Amino acid sequence: MLFSSIPFLYYFLPLVLICYFAAPKKLKNAVLFVFSLIFYAWGEPVYVFLMAASIISAWGLALLMDRVKTPKARKTLMIISVVISFSFLAYFKYADFFISNFNAATGLSVPLLKIALPVGISFYTFQIASYTIDVYRGDTKANKNILDFGTYVVLFPQLIAGPIVRYVDIADMLKNRTHTLEKTAYGIQRFCIGIGKKVLFANAFGELCSIFRASDEKTVLFYWIYAAAFMLQIYFDFSGYSDMAIGLGRIFGFTFLENFDFPYISKSITEFWRRWHMSLGSWFRDYVYIPLGGNRVSTPRFLFNIFVVWFLTGFWHGADWQFIVWGLFYGTLLVIEKMWLKKYLDKAPAVLSHIYVLFFTAIGFVIFNSVSIGGAFEDLKGMFGFAGIPFAGTATLYYLKSYALMFIAGSLLATPVVKTVLKRIDSTKIGGKTFAVLKPLGFAAVLIMVTGYLADGSFNPFLYFRF
Amino acid sequence: MNKKTQNIYTIIVTAVLIFGLAFWALLKPADDFSESERRPLDQLPELSIKTLLNGDFMDKFENYTNDQFPIRDTFRTVKALAQYYLFGLSDNNELYFADGHIAKLDFPLDMDSIQYAADRFNDLYETYLKDKANKVIFSVVPDKGAYIGEENGYPVTDYAEMEKFFKENLGFAQYVSIFDLLDEDDYYFTDTHWQQQNLTEVAEKILVSLEAKPFEDFEEKVATEEFHGVYFGQSALPLKPEKIVYLTTPELDSMTVFNYETGMKGGIYNFDKLESKDPYEFYLSGSTSLIEVTNTSAEGDRHLIIFRDSFGSSIAPLLMRDYAKITLIDTRYIIPSMIGQYVDFEGADVLMMYSSLVLNESSTLKK
Repeated sequence: MLFSSIPFLYYFLPLVLICYFAAPKKLKNAVLFVFSLIFYAWGEPVYVFLMAASIISAWGLALLMDRVKTPKARKTLMIISVVISFSFLAYFKYADFFISNFNAATGLSVPLLKIALPVGISFYTFQIASYTIDVYRGDTKANKNILDFGTYVVLFPQLIAGPIVRYVDIADMLKNRTHTLEKTAYGIQRFCIGIGKKVLFANAFGELCSIFRASDEKTVLFYWIYAAAFMLQIYFDFSGYSDMAIGLGRIFGFTFLENFDFPYISKSITEFWRRWHMSLGSWFRDYVYIPLGGNRVSTPRFLFNIFVVWFLTGFWHGADWQFIVWGLFYGTLLVIEKMWLKKYLDKAPAVLSHIYVLFFTAIGFVIFNSVSIGGAFEDLKGMFGFAGIPFAGTATLYYLKSYALMFIAGSLLATPVVKTVLKRIDSTKIGGKTFAVLKPLGFAAVLIMVTGYLADGSFNPFLYFRF
Repeated sequence: MNKKTQNIYTIIVTAVLIFGLAFWALLKPADDFSESERRPLDQLPELSIKTLLNGDFMDKFENYTNDQFPIRDTFRTVKALAQYYLFGLSDNNELYFADGHIAKLDFPLDMDSIQYAADRFNDLYETYLKDKANKVIFSVVPDKGAYIGEENGYPVTDYAEMEKFFKENLGFAQYVSIFDLLDEDDYYFTDTHWQQQNLTEVAEKILVSLEAKPFEDFEEKVATEEFHGVYFGQSALPLKPEKIVYLTTPELDSMTVFNYETGMKGGIYNFDKLESKDPYEFYLSGSTSLIEVTNTSAEGDRHLIIFRDSFGSSIAPLLMRDYAKITLIDTRYIIPSMIGQYVDFEGADVLMMYSSLVLNESSTLKK
């Protein structure tokens, strides 16, 4: 089920809110668990059983891990649990990738499995793995209550597109959490901001990307418009989803960590990845990069560690070579920054650093959004004028003009400028009084507009849904 | 207002909105048809183990809830206004608003499409018209975007290229250009079609090519003042209804129309259609595969065959004076190989008249 859909907003959400707040404290997790399963089953009825198997195996093996005494036995159980979780991911997400590459390398034609990817499997597998490893490391105790653990895994606000919530961060909240007016109001505001970002901005930019793809007119300028539109689409799509998740979590008494922090204002790629999909970055840092030795190793080993992490980051996003290239592209940029460029970037005028980051993230996202490596190459040729195409054309100029205000508004909203200005106004006496009245109406207006877009059946895909 | 009051206020406003609409959606009886969009609305899907497991129920439930959402048209209007006036987008669902008209983006010229259309017309010529038809005229009906698009900054089809293409590729026909005889005021504001009362000059030009005469005088009558065109619903903009005006003469009033699809006889103007989903079907009952008009007032036995789309329905009555029999064929709804069973082409004058919109998206023309 999509957050940005009429069934979610006006059927599922009111029902879950009524049941949740009507339920006594000891049943609240059960309500969340049941509704989360319904939420998941809505899109993937059969794969609920797969998720249940993941939950039961991870829960049971973690309990065993707490009971056995020898480190070797604990390690063995941890490895078994992680292997089970990742084998589901490997089978459902990566099997066809390996088969098709095997076929290409050997000339054989092993039939593809063509299995539909279970929604959110990459997210919940990482959550389960983090729990198992944290229990193994002794960072947290195994949860004896399968309902509480199940609630952690299937919690619908963050189930299918993150942020990747670690068990240690919400273990206490699963047992004991409070619900306050402040939390609920904050949650509503974050949810409205998120759904506004998604429906009003991400979808509009997504539609422009689709128009570009469908258009017979390919020009250098149109390629760049597409690149900029996709940058904004993926930012508003994913950060909007994270806002909705964080907002809904807050309404139900959970505090999830932030996942985005205005990444496009970064002055280096290193900084960009501290601000973009922060929960994934920190997962790889804590469970792959640091266990491999991090940066406190020899230079060749450091390079190896970096490229392993970025290979996996790319591969996590999709079972195709363009995702791997995208990951390694960032790995390369990060190595260059770490070993040479960072000191120059620190001294360079801010505008140059921003241009540098925006330029390379644009390139990166064009690779990311291509259909194949060949497609990425074609897109990059188009962007840099090597495709023998004109600079601009009728359709290019029309869409540039049509989306001009969207680009200006989207670019501003992708920076902290609007937030800062609104905060400053809010801190003044008159501004504060005015905002106290207007803010709730503003959020209601966003919901009304969003409903208009949804009722019209507008373009509404979720980019991170299949990851 | 302190922080606590502000929080309560936020919760109440959004809760009233979400729960209010949720209860309304739950209690509201399902509508069958959307008048504004001219389409049937999705109904509550069948709930069974099978439809739950294969996901059918969920997919259809989403369509159902979208279609049946309370005051859906108002919400669609909110979206349309936000698109145009808040986000400054030039079009909404490919419809744009200029000079009081709603028009559809129709660009670029699709060469494959017009080639496909030309192939279909050449097939018709080879099969039915060659060595049989008297005169063959071809004419493109411009979309109203031709008159309002470019000057308002919208990209438009290359109409000159389209006309040139058909002149060059339909060697069997005399091409009659009507572009200069029209402007945007000859079209409905909220509909794709042209207005019959403004077509007399166009009709006269075609009749000159056919060596036939126009009616000397028409009486102008109003069929309805509550016409909402096809773009009205699609655009969801709050626009006023328009008048459908029609031209008639005693001869037109006495003509009979036989509809091969229904086997029914009727008149040139079908008043029942004013209450239908598309009131423009008032003219010759709209999009029908094959109809035959009998004109007993005509001198002689001339036969006019019009291959047409919906634009042809409104101009056809203005061309009928000298023809005892007028056959209208819409090859979007009849396979060309079947036409010979019903129509005799011997000695007939033939007019092929198609809208640029249909020609630029011609896959609907049957092979």
